[in-house]
Amino acid sequence: MDELEFDDVLDDWFIESLKTYRDLHVYQLEHPTQVIEWTSEKTVCVAGCSLKKNEILELRLPLRLFAEENKGLCAERDFKVVHGGFTDGPVRCLRHIPGTRCLVTNDGLSAELQLWGLGGDDSNVIRRTGSIEGSRSVLECGSRIAVRDSSRPQVLHGAQSSGVQLTELSSGQMLYKLDTDAADPLSSLQFVSDSVFLASCCNGNIYVADTRTSAAPQLYPPPACSGESVFWWTDASSGPDLSGCKVIRLSSSGQAMVSDLRSLEGAVSQAHLDIQACHHGLDVVRVSWAPVLDNCIALSGFSGAVHIYDTSVWTTELQEAQLLFEHRGHVVSLQSEDAVPVFITSHVWHPDRPRTLLSAASDGSVHVWDWVDQSGTRAEVNKLKGSVHPTLTCGAV
Amino acid sequence: MPEIKVTPLGAGQDVGRSCILVSIGGKNLMLDCGMHMGYNDDRRFPDFSYITQNGRLTDFLDCVIISHFHLDHCGALPYMSEMVGYDGPIYMTHPTKAICPILLEDFRKITVDKKGETNFFTSQMIKDCMKKVIPLNLHQTVQVDDELEIKAYYAGHVLGAAMVQIKVGSESVVYTGDYNMTPDRHLGAAWIDKCRPDILISESTYATTIRDSKRCRERDFLKKVHESIERGGKVLIPVFAPGRAQELCILLETFWERMNLKAPIYFSTGLTEKANHYYKLFITWTNQKIRKTFVQRNMFEFKHIKAFDRSYADNPGPMVVFATPGMLHAGQSLQIFKKWAGNEKNMVIMPGYCVQGTIGHKILNGQRKLEMEGRTTLDVKLQVEYMSFSAHADAKGIMQLIRMAEPRNMLLVHGEAVKMEFLKGKIEQEFSVDCYMPANGETTTVTTNPSVPVDISLNLLKREMALGGPLPDPKKPRTMHGTLIMKENSLKLVSSEQALKELGLNEHQLRFTCRVQLQDPHSDSDTLHRIYKHLKSVLKGYTIQHLPDGTVMVESIVIKVSSSADDTNTKVLLLSWSYQDEDLGSFLSSLLKKGLPSGLC
Repeated sequence: MDELEFDDVLDDWFIESLKTYRDLHVYQLEHPTQVIEWTSEKTVCVAGCSLKKNEILELRLPLRLFAEENKGLCAERDFKVVHGGFTDGPVRCLRHIPGTRCLVTNDGLSAELQLWGLGGDDSNVIRRTGSIEGSRSVLECGSRIAVRDSSRPQVLHGAQSSGVQLTELSSGQMLYKLDTDAADPLSSLQFVSDSVFLASCCNGNIYVADTRTSAAPQLYPPPACSGESVFWWTDASSGPDLSGCKVIRLSSSGQAMVSDLRSLEGAVSQAHLDIQACHHGLDVVRVSWAPVLDNCIALSGFSGAVHIYDTSVWTTELQEAQLLFEHRGHVVSLQSEDAVPVFITSHVWHPDRPRTLLSAASDGSVHVWDWVDQSGTRAEVNKLKGSVHPTLTCGAV
Repeated sequence: MPEIKVTPLGAGQDVGRSCILVSIGGKNLMLDCGMHMGYNDDRRFPDFSYITQNGRLTDFLDCVIISHFHLDHCGALPYMSEMVGYDGPIYMTHPTKAICPILLEDFRKITVDKKGETNFFTSQMIKDCMKKVIPLNLHQTVQVDDELEIKAYYAGHVLGAAMVQIKVGSESVVYTGDYNMTPDRHLGAAWIDKCRPDILISESTYATTIRDSKRCRERDFLKKVHESIERGGKVLIPVFAPGRAQELCILLETFWERMNLKAPIYFSTGLTEKANHYYKLFITWTNQKIRKTFVQRNMFEFKHIKAFDRSYADNPGPMVVFATPGMLHAGQSLQIFKKWAGNEKNMVIMPGYCVQGTIGHKILNGQRKLEMEGRTTLDVKLQVEYMSFSAHADAKGIMQLIRMAEPRNMLLVHGEAVKMEFLKGKIEQEFSVDCYMPANGETTTVTTNPSVPVDISLNLLKREMALGGPLPDPKKPRTMHGTLIMKENSLKLVSSEQALKELGLNEHQLRFTCRVQLQDPHSDSDTLHRIYKHLKSVLKGYTIQHLPDGTVMVESIVIKVSSSADDTNTKVLLLSWSYQDEDLGSFLSSLLKKGLPSGLC
């Protein structure tokens, strides 16, 4: 690769990006990550996913991104590695416990969760502090993890619906267990309030339960047209209360449905999304509601791009959805000149900045981008958003 | 055990300046001699009292090496050599030697003339200092004296920047200065061979960063320029060296062509004057590939970029101007700035660090009202953009460099220990080398294990290799017998005969004799034969002979049997060996002391 050819720098995408992005930062990690998790307003954690030893890194985002008034005077564009640690296996799921400096990870191969201390000012090493056993599943698949703000750190985890439990970190005590015998493998676990959570299964079943009661959960099957070999992903939007909570379900055949949390049996709207067949493993698909932009979702994992859709224009009729924005940066980046196609391994929205996202790809690249909405229909920034729990804005896993 | 000592000068956690002392093989070196740009008093100079409390440094240092022309690496050099006092050699690359005095003089002018400071070096001191400089070529070994040699490697980063290998005997240290491992457009990336130094010394300032891509920096640059031009504004880009300026010019030119833009781009005369001079330096410094691009696109042959005339600054409409000097502290760039500062449609893009006291420094700190000569005030209404294009190695880069050089130990300077812990662990884990992180003013001592190369005479080598396998463990390294002769600077291993001959000495033989008593009813000759059979079965691979003169020989060891005078069943074995066969001889005597196995015929 000739670094000196200026002409190929200025490709079409690059020129277009001058207008389509306010900010764009492109980084190259030594190893690809499948996780991006906020640990504070300005820091995220990423971690390697190879089978042997990996690193967990806590990265501080570039100061320039946050400098509002004097942005021009801030030249700092780099990630800063503020903390780092070593793992013995892959990290397929990573969650930060809000209000603490603790992380919970899972290697995607077993039900055990690893606990980590992020370290304060006295050390920049992330250290393993313990582990939590989960219920073994028949299949060798990893656990999903959900966290929420609580005075006593707890973690909701499980690989399949019959194994979902809420564990207290300090004692290892199981505080709650999802009351079902069905062993449906999970695609995600997510809290929608302090005690209500969704356990979304790969086969499209959604369990809605409350950790305060031992009553059986409500079970919502997938839409009738769903075939046998179809895989489902789910995400619930965040909000001050459950009444405004929306749930999006996406199938591997491209069907997307938006429902109200309180009436999951029906759909408010739907659309067909143009997604390619999933060759990269179902684990990397992410679908997420934007925390600030009303009705917008981001989707990644099927290709080398991150797609953003405005669901407010969807109707009850199944029609082809129009893209609001496509981030193709990982594909056109100069790094990926070899034959192996790049695919997105993870993405997250910034909790407060309406159009800022982070995305990671299989070639180790990590992008931070703030896109410009150039469509006629402007997605509304929700001005009523108060304090947003960063945890509730995470993607489907 | 031999040791190498490394001490970064400076106090506490200061990262603003580089000045590192190294003691290796009895030689003392100073690596870089930087000024701390954040201080206005004597704290900006390195504290040389570590070397000696008072007096000149000449007797205490064998040489000084400067890695590149940035002031935080060379800014205190004239102070050290002329005000503290040092008359020994100062090494740096040719481009560094050419550019240093210019930057130092600029810096001196700003600090003394503008800020009115007194304890500072003079123009004459800069000249006298540079007279002591011996320029280096890349990859060329330079003998500082009989024992100390140095070699410069390409570091990227800025024109003339070098990484330096320092060697005394078989001990060596590599100092990186500032470098980058991802290629820059006009400078390429650092490179070093697998020289396996005892210590690799690297800055850790950027060790915990992950760099944003060059493309994004360029995108931001073009976006800003384009936005200004589109609204009819003028863009001023103060630059120092043609290298970076030219790179930005080529970028703009390509962009202009692509977007079919019409606004004029100018290159100030100040730059074009210096251009030829730097050009020569630049062309010989960079590699073939880069040379080709920049020779092809000679700055005088740009399609969209023309030479600037000061009257153009008043022309209406949008334009872009590259002008010197880089910190807006004097000359044409300052003149243009004064004209354009009052219009908010305009923009100034600062592509690098600005020294305290300059206009550049002030506006980068957000100052919007400037006091100019004649007590006039300048309102800064134009947009100020700070864009850093200089290339540094980041966390990944350090790992790449270690992989390239394969040092035995790693040493990181200018980092807080707390912030370096993870990187230290990473380096130790991946490369299994110790990673040291001395604080400023702290000395790190690294024990080395240098190998001593010795010539061996071919005869001796052949002879030693021909002898049989060792006992009892065939895998144990075999002891070789020879004589080490040290003559002048060479070390030679020869056979003892040859050594005796060379030294004119007589050879004396040392033989050991040992008597072992055995109970054996057979005749002397039968006993001898039984011994022969026994040894043959145990000592496989050895030359064992039963000689007609009534002895058994194992290699050169002689065994005789005789009966005791008192009792014929008591046999006395006489073993005799020379000093060289001590091991085998001892083994045989222990073996025979145990007696003969009954199964022998």
